Amino acid sequence: MKKLSLGLLLLLSLPLVLSAQNIEVKTHQLKNGMKVVVHEDHSIPSVALYIFYRIGSRNERPGTTGLSHFFEHMMFNGAKKYGFKQFDVVMEAAGGHNNAYTSNDVTVYQDWFTPSALERIFDMEADRIRDLAFDAKVIESERGVVASERRSSIDGSNAGIIYEQLWASAFTAHPYQWPVVGWMVDIENWKMEDLKKHFEMGYSPSNATMVVTGDVKFEDIVKLSEKYIEPISSHAPPPPVTTVEPEQQGERRVVVKKFAQLPMLMIGYHVPKTADADYYSLQVLSNVLFAGESSRMYQRLVDKDQIALGVEGGTELALDPTLFLISAQPKEGIAPEKVEKTLYEEIDRVKSGGITDKELQKAKNILLANFYRQMKTINGKANTLGSYEVFFGDYKKLFSAADDYAKVNLDDVKRVAAKYFGEKNRTVATLIPEKEETKTASSGEGKPIAAKAPSKQKAKRK
Amino acid sequence: MGAKKLKPASFFCPHFSVSLFKLLTGHTYLQPLNTILFSSFLFLMRKPTFFLTIFLVFSVVAFAQQTLKLPPYQKTKLPNGLTIILMPQTEVPIVSLSIGVRAGSINDPAGKEGVASVTADLLRKGTKIRTSEQISSELDFVGGTLEFGAAQDFMRGQGEFLKKDVTLGLDVLADVLMNPTFAQAEVDKLLAQRIDGIKQAKDQAQAVIGNYFNAYLYGQHLYARPVDGDEKSLAAIKRLDVMNFYEKNYGPQSVTIAVVGDFETASMLNTLKNKFGSWKQKGTAATPTLSEPIAFKGKKLLLVDKPDSTQTYFLIGNTGIAKNNPDRAGIEIVNTVFGGRFTSMLNDALRVSSGLTYGAQANFSQRQVAGPFVISTYTQNKTTVQAIDLALDILKKLHEQGLSEEQLKSSKAYIKGTYPPKIETSDQLAKQLVEWDFYGLDEREVNDYFAKIDALSAADVKRIIHQYYPLDNLVFTLIGKADEIKEQVKKYAPQMDEKKIGQVGF
Repeated sequence: MKKLSLGLLLLLSLPLVLSAQNIEVKTHQLKNGMKVVVHEDHSIPSVALYIFYRIGSRNERPGTTGLSHFFEHMMFNGAKKYGFKQFDVVMEAAGGHNNAYTSNDVTVYQDWFTPSALERIFDMEADRIRDLAFDAKVIESERGVVASERRSSIDGSNAGIIYEQLWASAFTAHPYQWPVVGWMVDIENWKMEDLKKHFEMGYSPSNATMVVTGDVKFEDIVKLSEKYIEPISSHAPPPPVTTVEPEQQGERRVVVKKFAQLPMLMIGYHVPKTADADYYSLQVLSNVLFAGESSRMYQRLVDKDQIALGVEGGTELALDPTLFLISAQPKEGIAPEKVEKTLYEEIDRVKSGGITDKELQKAKNILLANFYRQMKTINGKANTLGSYEVFFGDYKKLFSAADDYAKVNLDDVKRVAAKYFGEKNRTVATLIPEKEETKTASSGEGKPIAAKAPSKQKAKRK
Repeated sequence: MGAKKLKPASFFCPHFSVSLFKLLTGHTYLQPLNTILFSSFLFLMRKPTFFLTIFLVFSVVAFAQQTLKLPPYQKTKLPNGLTIILMPQTEVPIVSLSIGVRAGSINDPAGKEGVASVTADLLRKGTKIRTSEQISSELDFVGGTLEFGAAQDFMRGQGEFLKKDVTLGLDVLADVLMNPTFAQAEVDKLLAQRIDGIKQAKDQAQAVIGNYFNAYLYGQHLYARPVDGDEKSLAAIKRLDVMNFYEKNYGPQSVTIAVVGDFETASMLNTLKNKFGSWKQKGTAATPTLSEPIAFKGKKLLLVDKPDSTQTYFLIGNTGIAKNNPDRAGIEIVNTVFGGRFTSMLNDALRVSSGLTYGAQANFSQRQVAGPFVISTYTQNKTTVQAIDLALDILKKLHEQGLSEEQLKSSKAYIKGTYPPKIETSDQLAKQLVEWDFYGLDEREVNDYFAKIDALSAADVKRIIHQYYPLDNLVFTLIGKADEIKEQVKKYAPQMDEKKIGQVGF
């Protein structure tokens, strides 16, 4: 389902909105502090209910990194009324399914279901916010799941490995330095007490926003949220994250050497948080450099110089100052340094010569088209509304985004390029392959060892 | 951001960077880096998202609670043989295009595996009137998309444009389909990238395990081939091979185009006639005869050594079912319970109850003839045997215990409840319409779907399990650290074969 992937991409580049496309949104404030945002869309008999908790890995500390994400898993492992496994069993039997995601800043729960299951979903969501169970055995089992997730998404992925190292090097003080999934040693060491504290810190209704889109009536959502959610009392939100990353005063470099077929390169520049005024200009710049095969970086590195297999760049939504990431996969035989140097040349070209009118317009058009794609689905709408509410402070910013992008001019793009894309402000991570000895036989055919296997097949079927 | 690679027709693959489902199709294409970068690390999902999508179904638009009815569409065959399908949908000012060409990897000449895939990619790399860069610029300038990629059975394309830009989109589409030039420089460039792309894919076990499995299972059958070729076959491909492939397989009579979205039918049909009517019939368009794959009898195991592995990735399966299998609705009901959703028997045992893995599932890949059936998961090196044993136990349990009344009921409700979002958007519908056309199916796939689901009985379930789930005949493919697991996994099959990940091919 493509829409889901678009849902995530949206978080990378919040799209441009035409004022004509304002969708009708109603909100309701519960007495316990939770805000409920509703958009009715009756095009399909389906509902998306998202709950955004303002807690993520930035609220963690050394020793218990990854706890937010682990906790996200635990939210599905049983509460008082709906015990172990029941959240999923009941939801799936009622014609629904769910997922959740955790980032540096937020933990988001996503329920998708048939309209007749609406009240049941409210009952289950209330149950786990109010009365989550903490079973020692279940915690141990889930620890294994998260470790496996870490092994496949980070340790088993070269991009994952240098991504992690890049953030760990670019941030020295601020919590963005540790991975959302957590360091493996922390995953192995969480205690029951850590989990309980985390729940108490982050899971107050006042620390969350609920977004409901799809085949529902606003009045029903108000009624159900008052019945199920409002009685749950709130408490203080997580302590504010006061640490500010000190200004970087020189380039940082980190190298990973491991078994691999190809090298990899990733670069991060410190940029402001999403709510900063420069966000829109950076998005435009990002599009000019990286969006599509006509983008400057693709044209130069992949098409003309042919030194990289692919190149990507961009930022994600962030409550605090974050990184603008650039990633490239050098071709075999091409030193990552060469790719790196070429990337800088293209960045310098923007700094000195700016971008063209046509490029500016193209970037705005792409942002607009992305927006429409995102708003095609009830899931996309739910995720967009919630993301604007959290990262811009108000879902209504969605409706002024068109104007905010329209205001971006050529000078703005040149200015942000010069302001943020400097040598002193960057961190460079490189993965250098260490090939095992037998790899020298790479020109040979893969020969089966067991004589029984028909070798002809092998050669052909690769 | 960045060109997304086209997903194979039969799978909905969401953001999770590598889904085993997708991999079974034999694709080893470059992962878009943004997918790698952002989707899998920044946002850690609770579940591998293929749980959300189960296996491929029939596309639909659903309205009243218990019935589905596909919105009307119009199918036209032009005099030159090109098939056009139009379905107006006005909710969003977007128009989606889906293109199918009978030019899949099964049409690859032996020894030149990957030609279909390379040809698909090269369509956009220059025509008689546009350079590669011009094509990209024109599309990007309006925020449009147009992507092509080969699957086994056919070549798929998809595009999407704002309503106001759709004429431009169709103009480019007609140009790239009818007038590609396959300039030598572009061919060389792409082949070099693709060869490195195979290496890049081999750095991630999940990206290539399907290729190894298909090769090992299918033997001489065309489905054994990797859609994107391998290091050796790609190196053998020349520009002439691409041109020959195009001449032989691309012609109006082998093309179906579906357009879904915000347009007026009569004028859209006229536009399409204008753009494509002049395309002269050519090419033989003779799809190679696909023999019915023969299921593997007995057990065999392939171990691929990837020395840096901290986990063992494995697939266990055999040949499965074809796209037009009359039992597929029932199979979906059974597979939902067995390995198709979060609470499935496999995921419950291997993840929820034991913590051995992040996810375990089972899937039937449906194609023109029997695609693979696989159980797939991964676990850390030291629990490899424990996980494989458990997966086999669950398979045995399915055979011994079948589905309870409650499981059957839950599966039906789940399928019906989660279905509407799968057919919500114009691109989903367009893709479906083309697929039906190719597989000789139609809107009954939708309109009769819930009735078929409702009708499935306990006796059907029993029969389906027995008929479609292999128990004693199993092919195993493992990628992991051979040093640590080799001796222990010998027990699963009398025949064990070994490869190293760095060796050419799969």
